[in-house]
Amino acid sequence: MQCLRAIGPCAGAVLLALTSLPAAQAIVTLTDEIELEGFVNLQNVVREPRFESAELVMQRNTAQIEGKYYFLKDSTAFGRFHTGRLEEATLTIVGRGVYDSIYDIRDSYRDAFDADRHHPGEAELKLREAFIDFLLPPFTLRLGRQQVVWGETDNFRALDVINPLDLRWHWSWESWEDIRIPLWMARGVYDIGKLGPFDESFIEGVYIPWDVQQNEISTDPRRPWALHGAGLRERANTVIAGGQVLDLDLRVRDGSPSRRFENGQGGMRFKAIWGDVEFSLNYFYGLSVDTRARYQAARSGIFGNTFRAEYVTENPRTHLVGFTANYSEEKYTQAVFRMETVFTTGVPVAIDDAAPRIADPDGDQFDEARRTVLMLAVDRPTWIRWLNDQRTFFLSTQIFWRHYLDWNTYYRGIPAVEQAVFNGQVLPDRYVSTNTDRIDQNEFVMTFSASTSYGAAGLMQPRFVLAYDPRSTGAYNQIGFDYLLSKHIQLKLYQNLFWRVNGDSIGPWQLGDLWGHSSGNSRHETVFSLIYQF
Amino acid sequence: MLSEVVTKTLHRALRIGTCAALAGAIATAAAADGDRSYQALRDWIAQAPDADLETGRTYSIADRAALEAYVPPTVWGYYFFDDMAMEVTPTAHYPTPPDWKTDGSGAHTLDERGILRNFNGGGTPFPQVAPDDPQAAVKLIWNMLWRPGEHDFDMPMMTWLRSENGKLDRELEYMSTNATYALGDRCLVPGYEEVKSKRIMEFRSPRDMAGAKDMQIVYVDHDREDSGWLYMPAQRKPRRTLASERTSELMGMDMIREDMNGFNGKIHENDWTYLGRRKVLATVNVRDNPEMGGPHLWVPNHARWEVRDAHVVMIEPKAANHPYSHRILFLDPDSHWTMWMLAFDRKDGQLLRMAQHFMKYSESYRDEQPQQAPYVNQDFTKNLGHHVFLHLGENDINAKKPHATITHCFVKKRMFSEARAQQFYSLRNMISGRR
Repeated sequence: MQCLRAIGPCAGAVLLALTSLPAAQAIVTLTDEIELEGFVNLQNVVREPRFESAELVMQRNTAQIEGKYYFLKDSTAFGRFHTGRLEEATLTIVGRGVYDSIYDIRDSYRDAFDADRHHPGEAELKLREAFIDFLLPPFTLRLGRQQVVWGETDNFRALDVINPLDLRWHWSWESWEDIRIPLWMARGVYDIGKLGPFDESFIEGVYIPWDVQQNEISTDPRRPWALHGAGLRERANTVIAGGQVLDLDLRVRDGSPSRRFENGQGGMRFKAIWGDVEFSLNYFYGLSVDTRARYQAARSGIFGNTFRAEYVTENPRTHLVGFTANYSEEKYTQAVFRMETVFTTGVPVAIDDAAPRIADPDGDQFDEARRTVLMLAVDRPTWIRWLNDQRTFFLSTQIFWRHYLDWNTYYRGIPAVEQAVFNGQVLPDRYVSTNTDRIDQNEFVMTFSASTSYGAAGLMQPRFVLAYDPRSTGAYNQIGFDYLLSKHIQLKLYQNLFWRVNGDSIGPWQLGDLWGHSSGNSRHETVFSLIYQF
Repeated sequence: MLSEVVTKTLHRALRIGTCAALAGAIATAAAADGDRSYQALRDWIAQAPDADLETGRTYSIADRAALEAYVPPTVWGYYFFDDMAMEVTPTAHYPTPPDWKTDGSGAHTLDERGILRNFNGGGTPFPQVAPDDPQAAVKLIWNMLWRPGEHDFDMPMMTWLRSENGKLDRELEYMSTNATYALGDRCLVPGYEEVKSKRIMEFRSPRDMAGAKDMQIVYVDHDREDSGWLYMPAQRKPRRTLASERTSELMGMDMIREDMNGFNGKIHENDWTYLGRRKVLATVNVRDNPEMGGPHLWVPNHARWEVRDAHVVMIEPKAANHPYSHRILFLDPDSHWTMWMLAFDRKDGQLLRMAQHFMKYSESYRDEQPQQAPYVNQDFTKNLGHHVFLHLGENDINAKKPHATITHCFVKKRMFSEARAQQFYSLRNMISGRR
C-alpha cells in the first residue's frame, strides 16, 4: 500500500519524465514477439453543487500496462515446436494500478475515514485481464480473465450483462471498458460461414466456471459517488415503530453466490447476416449482477431499545434470451439501424415493507421478476456544414424500453435516508430509511450523442451526450472535449450535468440530479484528465 | 504649397510603387507556385511537352523549366523547392501477371449507367480503349478498379499527418490485410461469388486507436454498397458502419473515402470525360518508400521517377453539395493504377485535394528491396513472380487547410488459402480484438 501511495505524488514526475524521452515509441516492442502499451492517466474531478461552489472530489491517478506475447505463429510455438493445425496463440496481460490522491490533498476526506483506518478507493493494484487466444481454424478460443460484450445497446444494460460493473468510484460515467469487472472464463467461437441463407455465420459459447461477481456499488455516503437515494448523505440509525423511537441495528449478510463450480454460468449466441441484415440469437444462463436484499423476518425484531433488521443479499439465477439486429440503409436515410430485445428472468426487486401479503407472500420484501427490454437505435454520419465543413458529425440516438412482466405496485427502487421526526419533532442525529421510489412497469430512456473533430489533423474532438428519462424527467448531459496534443499526450475535459425538468422521482436510470433535492449536494462536475499513452 | 503638392505626389508615387512591387512579388510567387486552378490544369493537359526529358539523370531546381512540362502546374508549389532531386529513369514496360487476361474476352458489358456487368475479375475488362469511345473514361476507371495487384497482401503502414513547415501532428501505425475473392473463373472462397474483395485493417498505435479495426466487404455488383464493421476496443464489440457517405475526411487525414486509390466512389454518381493521353512524371517504380522533402515534408524527394504516357480522366460529381467540381486522374497505361489525383473545390475551382501514389513493380524486388516497416520484418522475396505493382505509399494534400497526410506502405504479397480467407475475413474475427 505504501508503494501505491507513492504513485500519486510521483505520477506527475513520471509523466514529465516519459514525455521528455526524445524517442519515446508509440508502442514498445521488446522483441518480435512481445509488445507493451498502456497509459498513465491523471484524472481530476471537481464537483460543482448547483454551481454555487466547487470542490475537488477525486484525483485518480491510473497507470495501465498492456502486454502482448505472440508465442505461437505460423503453427510454430516459441520458434521451434510445430503445433499442427493450431496456427496462432497469443498471451495478453492488462494490469492496472490506481492511486486516488484526494486523501492526501483534502484533510476532510482523510479525517472522514480516520476511524476506519482505510480509505476506500484510494489504491488498487490489479491484474485486470489475462487471457490466451488460440486460433485453430475454424475454431478460436480465448481462455482467461476477460470481458465479453454482447448486444447493440450503448451504455445501458440489456444483453451486455456477462461482466458486472464497478460503479463505486465514478458510477457509470467512465468508459465501460475500464469499469467492467473481467471474469475468468472460456470463450470459444466456431466459424461456420455460409449456412443456408445466412452469410458470415458463427456460433459462440461462453463458460464462466466459478468466477461469480456482482456489480460493485458503494453505499457509503462519505464517498463521492455513493448511491444513497434521493435523501440525505447519512446512514439510517433509527426506526420509529409502535410509537417508539428505536435504534436501528441493520445487519446485512452476504448471501451472494460463492465462487464454486455449482455457480457456473454460460451462454451461447448465433450470429449471421441474412440479406443485408446482421442478427444474433443469444442465450445466457447466469447469476444476476444486480444485488438485492431479502428481509429475514425470523431474525429481526425489537430487542430492548433496538430494532434489529436482518437482510441477506441475493443474486438470483437468471435466464436471458435475446435477439439483436442491425441494418445499414444506404440509399434513403444513409443510416445504420440497430435493435436489441431481451427477455430476462430472475431480476431481483425490492418490495415495500408495507406491502400486503398478496404482493409479498413471503414477507421478505424481495421478489424475482421477469423483464423485457427493447432498444431501437440509429447511427448516422451527418453533414452540418455550418458547424464543420471538413468532416461529418457522428450522430447516434437510441430508445430503451424496459417492461416488468410481473410488476406490482409495491416494487421499490432505491431507499433514501431522511431526518427522523417523532410527534412532529425533529430528532437530532437520528435518521430513518424510507423507500418511496416506486418502480414503474414501463421504464424508458432516450439517448443522443454527437461527435466530430476539428483542426487540420482532427486533433480536437468535441462531443455532446444527452440521456433523458421521460418518466422521471431526469437527464444527464456531457459536453466533452478531447485534444490529442501529441502521439503520447491527450487532454480530456468534460462537464457532466445532471438535471430534471420537474418532479422528484428518482427514476430507474439514476440520470437526473437525484441526490440533490434534499441536500443541495447536486453532482454537476468538471473532469479534467491528462493522459500519457504509449 | 508647392512643397506640399510635391510631398503628396511623392507619397502617392511611393504608395503606387510599393503596391506595384507587392503585386509583382505576389504574381512572381504565384507563378512559382503554379496556377492551382482547374482551368490551368486543363490548359496544361492540352499542351504536349516540347522536349523529352533526359533519362538517367537527376533533375534539380535548376531544371525546373524542363520539369514544368511534365509536372502538373497545380502542384508546382509543392514539388519544386531548393534542394529537390528527381531521378528520371527510362520509361519501362511492366508486364501483367502471365495468367492475367488481357484480351478483353468475356460476356461483360457496360449498362446505360456505365456500370460493369457480368465481370468477375482475373483480367482487365477493357484492355483496348479507343480515344473516341464515348465510354472511354468509364472503361479506364473500370480497368483501374479491377487492376492487377489491387489486393492480396499484408500491408503494414505508417501515416504522418503534417502541418506546414513539417510540423508533425499525428503518427499512425496500422496493418491492412486484403484478399481478392473474385478471381475470374473462380472465387477464392466458393459460395462467396458476390464478393469482389475483403479487407481488414487494424491499428497498432497510437494507443487511443490501438486495436481499432475495420472489416470491409466490396461486392462484385457495383450497385451494392460495401459492408463494413468497426471494432473499437473501448466498446469491445463491432459496430456496423455506413458506406455511402464518402465525402467526409477520414480520421483527420487529408482524404475522403472517395479519394482512395484515386477514385473509390460510385460510377453513376458522376459524369465522365476522357481527356486523352498526357505525358507526366510519376513514381511508378520507386526504389524505396520515398523520403519526403520540400518546405513542409509533404512530397517525395530523391525519388525515382518515370515519364508515363498517362490516360487522363475527368470526373464531375453530379451532387450539387459534393466538395469537388472536378476530379482529374492520371492513370498508368500499363498497370491502370492512379498516379496522380487532383480535385478542385466546387466553391472557386482551385485545388482542394491532391494525391500522388508511389508504386513499385514486384519484380524489381529481385535487385532492390525497400525498407521494412519499423515494427515488423517481412519476407519481401514473396513479392517476386507476381508481376504487379505494389503500393508503397502516397501523399494526400489538402491545399485549402493547408495540411498533408503522408503514408508509407510496406507491402508483402500474400495469397490466402480458401480456408484461411474464410476464417480470417469473417464477422467472427470482428467480435474481439487486440484488447
